[in-house]
Amino acid sequence: MPSRKLIWPALALVAAAVMVLIATNLGNSLTYYLTPQEAVDRRTEFPDGQRFRLGGLVVVGSLTESGGVKTFDVTDGAETIQVQLTGAVPPLFAEDVGVVVEGAWSGSRFEADTALVRHDESYEAPATTQAS
Amino acid sequence: MFALLGIAGILTGLAGSIWLVIAAVRATGVGEAAGLRRPVQTILGGAVLAMLALEAALLADDFSLEYVANHHARATPFPFNFATGWAALEGSIVLWGLILAVYTWVTFKSVSRTARNEGDRLGVAALAVMGLVAVFFFGLQATVANPFQVCVEAAANGCLDASPFPWAAAQAPPDGPGPNPLLQNHILMAIHPPMLYLGFIGLTVPFAYAISALAIKEAGVEWLRRSRRSTLVAWTFLTAGIVLGAWWAYEVLSWGGYWGWDPVENASLMPWLVATAFLHSALVQMRRGALQAWNFVLVIGAFSLTILGTFLTRSGVIGSVHSFTQSAIGPVLLGFLFLVVAGSFWLFSTRSHLVADSPRLDSLVSREGSFLLNNLLLTIFAFVVLTGTLYPLVIEAITGDRVSVGRPFFVRMIVPLAFALLLAMGVGPQTPWREADPGRVAASLRVPIQVALAAGVLTVLFASRIGYVVGAVVAGTFVIASGVSLLIGRASRAARARATGPSGSVGREIRRQLTAEPSFWAGQLSHAGVALVAIGIGFTANLAQHGEVAMEPGDHIEFAGYNLHYRSPFLLTEPNRRVQGATIEVSVDGEVVTELRPRANFYGGDTAGISTPAVHTAFTGDLYLTLLNIDATGILLRMDTSPGIWLLWVGGLIAAGGGAWSLTARRRALVTAGV
Repeated sequence: MPSRKLIWPALALVAAAVMVLIATNLGNSLTYYLTPQEAVDRRTEFPDGQRFRLGGLVVVGSLTESGGVKTFDVTDGAETIQVQLTGAVPPLFAEDVGVVVEGAWSGSRFEADTALVRHDESYEAPATTQAS
Repeated sequence: MFALLGIAGILTGLAGSIWLVIAAVRATGVGEAAGLRRPVQTILGGAVLAMLALEAALLADDFSLEYVANHHARATPFPFNFATGWAALEGSIVLWGLILAVYTWVTFKSVSRTARNEGDRLGVAALAVMGLVAVFFFGLQATVANPFQVCVEAAANGCLDASPFPWAAAQAPPDGPGPNPLLQNHILMAIHPPMLYLGFIGLTVPFAYAISALAIKEAGVEWLRRSRRSTLVAWTFLTAGIVLGAWWAYEVLSWGGYWGWDPVENASLMPWLVATAFLHSALVQMRRGALQAWNFVLVIGAFSLTILGTFLTRSGVIGSVHSFTQSAIGPVLLGFLFLVVAGSFWLFSTRSHLVADSPRLDSLVSREGSFLLNNLLLTIFAFVVLTGTLYPLVIEAITGDRVSVGRPFFVRMIVPLAFALLLAMGVGPQTPWREADPGRVAASLRVPIQVALAAGVLTVLFASRIGYVVGAVVAGTFVIASGVSLLIGRASRAARARATGPSGSVGREIRRQLTAEPSFWAGQLSHAGVALVAIGIGFTANLAQHGEVAMEPGDHIEFAGYNLHYRSPFLLTEPNRRVQGATIEVSVDGEVVTELRPRANFYGGDTAGISTPAVHTAFTGDLYLTLLNIDATGILLRMDTSPGIWLLWVGGLIAAGGGAWSLTARRRALVTAGV
C-alpha cells in the first residue's frame, strides 16, 4: 500500500480533474429554452445561428409544406414566430399542438432542424399551471 | 364513502407511525420487539385500507373524489384504471406509504426473531427510524398530497375545486379526462412503477439500520450486514424497475430510444449507482475492516438520493416528458430532504469517534483495491449524473433562464467511466484479497483477454468497425469470459484435488462451487448482465439506421434489408380511444416475416394523438416503425433499426436475477442451517 499521505492528494487531484471535465463539458452542452415572447425580447442575445429551443403552440391554419420543408407559426399568446422546419417531423405533428423546436434565428424567422411534440393537455408554463 | 375510508386509512397509518416511533424509542434500551407488533400492524392496516379505498373508488368510477375526477375516465380499461391508483402524484404517495408499511412489517418480523433471545437494540432503533420516515409519508397524504379530497365544484370533464373534508357536499362530474395518455398505452405501466418504488423505498431499510447504529452507538459490523442485505433487496427491484422503465419508454414514447437522460430517469439511476457502490464497499469492511465511515456515507447518500429524486419528479420543478406531476408538495419534500441530509450527517459527525480508523490496506493490487476503484468510478458516475440533472435548476434559480443539459454531456462523461467500470469488473474478481501477485493475475486473465479479443475480431469481420462497438464487445466479453473462466478454473482445480473420475467431475464441481459460494457467483451473474447491457448499448447507439418515407397503400420500400409493403390503413374505435393505423407487411428476401401495425391513438377529445410504434424483434435487432402522419391519401412513416437491443432487456433482467439468486440462496442456507 502506498503511503497514506499520498491517498488524499491523489483523491483531491481526481476530484479536481472530474470537476474541470464536468465544468467544461456542461458549458458546451447547454441549450436555452425560450417562449416566443422571450425569444423576441432577447433577440440581441441570440444572434442568427445561435441555437436555442423555442416552445409554443402551432397556430391553426399556418402550416404549409413544400419540398420537405414545413413552415408554421408558433405562438405563446403574446408573440408569434414563423418557424421553418427542415428536419424530421415528430410523430403526429399537427396544428394546434404544443411543440418544442430547436434551431436558431435567421432574420425574423426561426430555422429549426429538430422538433418535439409536447403531450401536456394544457400548454402552459409550470408557474401558471401550479396556480390553477 | 371511499373518501371517508381512505382518510381513515391515512390517519390510522399516521397514528400507527407515531405509535411505532414512541414504542420503539422506549424499547430501545433492552431491544425488546414484542411491543412493536401492534403499531406495525396498525401502519400496515392503515396503508392497505388507504390503497384499497383509492383503487375501489377508481374501479367504481366514484367521480366525487377529486383524484378520480381528474385522473380517471369511465372508459379507461383494466388494468389502466387500476394503475391510475399510482399514476398521478397523490396516488403514488399512497403506494409509497403502502410499500413502506410492508417493508416496516418485514423488518419487524426479522427483528422480532433476533430480539427473542437476547434483545435487538439495533433492530428496534431501526424500526423507530422507519417509523419516523412513515410519519412523514403518511403526513404528506394527510396534508399536501391528500388523494381523498372531495370534489366540490365539478366541471363537465374533471374537477375544479376540492375540499379536504370528507363530509363536504360533493359534486361529482359526469366523467373525467382519464389518465395521461402516455400512461394508458402499455401494460408495462402497471408493472414498472411498483418495481421502481419497491427499489426506492427499500433503501429506507439500510438507511434505518445506519442511523440506528449511530444513534445507539453500535457502529460495529452488525448494522453493515443487515444494511447490505436489505440494500440487495432494494437493488434487485431497482435494477428490474430501471430496465422495465427503459423498455416502457422504448415501446411507448416512439422516438426509437430508451434512455433520454431525462431527470426522471436520472432520479432512478443515481440511487442505483450509489447502492451498487455500497454492495461492494460493504464487503471491504466485512473482510478487511476498512471504509467504515465511507459505508455510512453511501447508505445515507443512497436514501437521500431517492428523496431528491422524488422531489425532482414529483414537484414539477423540472419540466420533462414525465411532466404529469406538478403540485405544492415540492417545498415539503425539499424540507424533508434537507432534514434527512443535515440530520444524518450531524448525527454522523457527533459519532465519528465510534468509527474505527481504517486499517492499513496491504496493497492496492488486491480485491479491496479493485473495490476502491469500483467505488471511485461509481461515485464519479453518480456525481456526473447529479450535476447534469441539477445544473439547469441552479441556472434557472440564479438567472431565470430555462436551459437543458444535452445528451452529449452525459455521453462524453459517462462512456469513458463505463469502459473503466467494465475493465474493473473483469479484473476485480480475479484478484485475491490482501495482496495480489500481478504476474499471477495477468496469467489468470490471459484466456479471458484472448476470448475478448477474438470476439472483437469477429465483430470487425461480421458486424462493424466502429471503435465504440468493437470496444463494447471486447470489454463486455472480457467481463463475461473472466467470470466463466474463474468458475471453470476453480472447478477443475477442485476436481483434480479430489482426484475423482475424469468424466463429468468438472460439471459436478461447478455445481458444488455455485452452491458453496452463491452470493459471489450471483454477483458474477449480475456482472455478466451488466456486460450484456453495455454490449447492447454499444450496438444500438452506433449502428441504428433511420429513415423516413411517405407511402400510399400498395407502395413498397426497401429499408435496412427489409421490404416494407404498405397494405392498407385501418381504423378502430375502442371505448377509451380512437385508433388510426397502417398495416405494413414486412418481408426479408422475398419471404413475409411479419405484419406490423404502427398506430396513432386519440384519447378523449384530444386533437393531438399519441403515436405508438410497432416493433418486430429478431436476433440481430428490432425493426421499429412509427407513424409520423396519416391521412386519407397516405402515411408518413419513420423507420428505425435497433441492433441488438434485446441484449439490454435480457442483460438488465439477468443483473436483477443475480440479486434475486443471492437473496434466495442465502435464505435457503439459513433454513438448512436451522436458523
